[in-house]
Amino acid sequence: MSTTSPATAQTAVELIGITKRFGAFVANEDVNLTVKRGEIHAIIGENGAGKTTLMNILFGLLQPDEGKIRLNGQDTVVGDPATAISAGLGMVHQHFKLVPSLSVADNVFLGMEIRRNGLIDHATQIAKTRELSERFGLKVEPEERVSLLSVGIEQRIEILKVLARGARTIILDEPTAVLTPQESRELFQTLRGFVAGGMTVIFISHHLEEVMEVSDTVTVLRHGKHVATRPTAELTKADMVRMMVGRDVSFDRRPREKTDGQVVLDVKNLWARDDRRLPALRDATFTVRGGEIVGIAGVAGNGQTELAEVLSGLRPASHGSAMLKGSDLTALSTAAIREAGLAHVPGDRLVRGVDGSASISSNLLMGRQNKAPWSRNGILDWRAAGNQAVEMIKRFDIRARGPEDTVKRLSGGNIQKVVLAREFTNDADFLLIDQPTRGVDIGAQESIHDEIMRQRASGRAVLVISVQLDELLTLADRILVMFNGRIMGEVDGGSADSERIGMMMAGLEPGIVSDEVAS
Amino acid sequence: MNDKLRAFSGQIVAVVIALAIGAVIIMLIDESPTKVFMTLMRGAFGDQAKIAGTLLQTTPILICGIAACIGLRGGMFNVGIEGQLFLGGFAAAWVGFAMPLPPGLHVVVAMTVAVIAGAAWVSIPAFFRTRYGTNEVVSTILSNYVAVLLTSYLTIFLFKRPGGWSETPPILATAYLPELFAFSRLNWGLIIGLALALFVAWFFRSTAKGYSISMVGSAPKFAEYGGIDVKRQGFMVLLASGAVGGLAGGIETLGVHHRFMEGFAPGFGFDGLIAALLANGSPIGTIVTALFFGALRNGSLLLETDTNASREIITVIQALIILSVSAQVLMKRRGDSTAGERRWKF
Ligand SMILES: Nc1ncnc2c1ncn2[C@@H]1O[C@H](COP(=O)(O)OP(=O)(O)O)[C@@H](O)[C@H]1O
Ligand SMILES: [Mg+2]
Repeated sequence: MSTTSPATAQTAVELIGITKRFGAFVANEDVNLTVKRGEIHAIIGENGAGKTTLMNILFGLLQPDEGKIRLNGQDTVVGDPATAISAGLGMVHQHFKLVPSLSVADNVFLGMEIRRNGLIDHATQIAKTRELSERFGLKVEPEERVSLLSVGIEQRIEILKVLARGARTIILDEPTAVLTPQESRELFQTLRGFVAGGMTVIFISHHLEEVMEVSDTVTVLRHGKHVATRPTAELTKADMVRMMVGRDVSFDRRPREKTDGQVVLDVKNLWARDDRRLPALRDATFTVRGGEIVGIAGVAGNGQTELAEVLSGLRPASHGSAMLKGSDLTALSTAAIREAGLAHVPGDRLVRGVDGSASISSNLLMGRQNKAPWSRNGILDWRAAGNQAVEMIKRFDIRARGPEDTVKRLSGGNIQKVVLAREFTNDADFLLIDQPTRGVDIGAQESIHDEIMRQRASGRAVLVISVQLDELLTLADRILVMFNGRIMGEVDGGSADSERIGMMMAGLEPGIVSDEVAS
Repeated sequence: MNDKLRAFSGQIVAVVIALAIGAVIIMLIDESPTKVFMTLMRGAFGDQAKIAGTLLQTTPILICGIAACIGLRGGMFNVGIEGQLFLGGFAAAWVGFAMPLPPGLHVVVAMTVAVIAGAAWVSIPAFFRTRYGTNEVVSTILSNYVAVLLTSYLTIFLFKRPGGWSETPPILATAYLPELFAFSRLNWGLIIGLALALFVAWFFRSTAKGYSISMVGSAPKFAEYGGIDVKRQGFMVLLASGAVGGLAGGIETLGVHHRFMEGFAPGFGFDGLIAALLANGSPIGTIVTALFFGALRNGSLLLETDTNASREIITVIQALIILSVSAQVLMKRRGDSTAGERRWKF
């Protein structure tokens, strides 16, 4: 590490002893990182481990308090992104920075416009964008407006921007967080093409399957410190989890008692349309009993969202019924459904699940603002709300400074715990949990699963929707698989075969496919 | 608490920047900024009568500001307060001159009718907003023009005082809002405005309804998910905001002018909206910002006699404040570098 031999020409990037503090908080502590030329180097770690901070330092967006940076074997002071770019670095940020009203080509050349006679030369920009797009296999239509494009394509444009600036080492910060599995696979293809052409890729993720699939080397960060750098082939998923979390985490199937509850939710022939008015949920029929966890598996976008929205009153059903202990949810308002006994952990928690700008107490009050002891005669008792918040922070291990902490300051996992705390203490008979642990740290995932099992043990009927099959195999008593809006079949959670479920998720399981004509 | 302080520090910076640019403009017209500001201060707070004059200007700005606060907190941008004020003012005048009633009761009835007029006027945009999702900003702005012209029409063609200007007959003395001091037209309207500010602040802070409305304002999808009837709340919020706008007009009529006339109370609705924005939608904060704008208005009367600056410099300063408050809001959004990240990452 400490030598400055000429062999460093083989390394694209070297970070040596990087420390970065924000006030008293140490985001990176004495981090070393060596990235060899021509490899895909994954950086993994829980939320807040300091991955983005480290990359921002490398790219010149932040200045380290200590340590130095060597690019292509040369000591470099990366004072600003321009320095990084001229050294051949490029960064695709976690959030995209495109101008929606401009065309793809204009975005690619934004800030380095090709000019002729003082005016922007659109024709050349378009031609060059097309050439880059073809050379690297990143399909885009240069003249299209960005506002009309999907997130996956927006990401391609971000990558093209970086390529247009001559990058040889490309940093991608959690690129797959916004992609569908199909889009992710295409991205990996592109990344492999880059390294085949002698370029270098630094890839941040906390999806371990992806890391296993695509990377050559893995570096693990934990609490701002460098834990290990190893060839991916030497590691198992369990090794990575242990290094990220600092202890063993079990995602084995949870042991459980057999229960024999009453039917709480009875869904019959339920249909619903999506926002484009096309049928998105087709003829769903199933039940959920008290003391039972039913899982809904499927690739995202196969009708699960619509199912959850219909059950919670956020979307009208076009046909069918969903009886919750005698009341038909399809005929009720959201308020009446909650009254009837629904607790709902929504999939898009930042939009639906919380008011990020409000305090924890205030978020926990939602749905209780008209009930004692939180309010009497329409007057709120903020003391009761505060006490409730203190209690829940303790019980659900929410990492916050206190009940008045603003929710948007919390990490994703802790925001999810605020939602769970509110919904799980509702005394509702039916729990609808959409993506219980999406974006939640691995350590916190385990405790969320514990809490869901506790809800089962207390006799509630639980419906868990998840795109992570592992999670359902851990939790569910029965798993229903959805494809193209339909429930393709049911498997027992205890003896489920993930191979077979995978086939059903892809719509490939014959014999179970209903023979109705698709509409 | 800390967050609140931080939010306000932005507004203060905005005002300081606006005043600084205003100073530069004053220098460009070869006048001394200190002299202009001193004259403004003297005009606004120079003696008892001037202070009362400032408070008299502050009153309608404050009440219109509260109307705007109600809308802002509930996620509704009521830009039609000016129009609601005109209609409320006319309605109160009509009750005042056409409907003889005993003292006391006359005031109450006239104010109530003003409130109803304001609410009724906003109910049209509110209906379209709730039923068809029509943007309330556009429809309430447009409704201002109709309101101003409608009240002019009613005044000139149907209720004109014989032989007078474009104004209605004077209201009966039974409908006068009592004045507070002998030396000024300052009246009970100020007290009503202050009480209303306190009440609205308490309402949002301490009632279940206020909580629900704030949630609809700050996170409508969350409110919907939590079982709040978002559309209904939105409608009610606009109605309440319009009602207070009407009240502002009623108070101007019954307390100050004692009649309705063309060009009645110009710009108070807009000043109130700016005052509310500058106060981040806080009714208590609006007391301060309304006083600030009231002082500017009243102080500016002295500008033209005592300095070379035109009274319009006040309009310029207000425009600068709007610009720098907007810029602050944009920069705050940008400053939160994790905002975009959070949007994507769960
Ligand atoms: N500008 C900043 N000011 C203060 N704290 C920050 C700032 N940027 C990041 N942090 C903190 O540093 C830690 C590491 O953040 P980050 O590098 O974004 O983590 P990761 O990308 O691994 O999730 C987090 O706890 C975060 O809150
Ligand atoms: Mg990050």
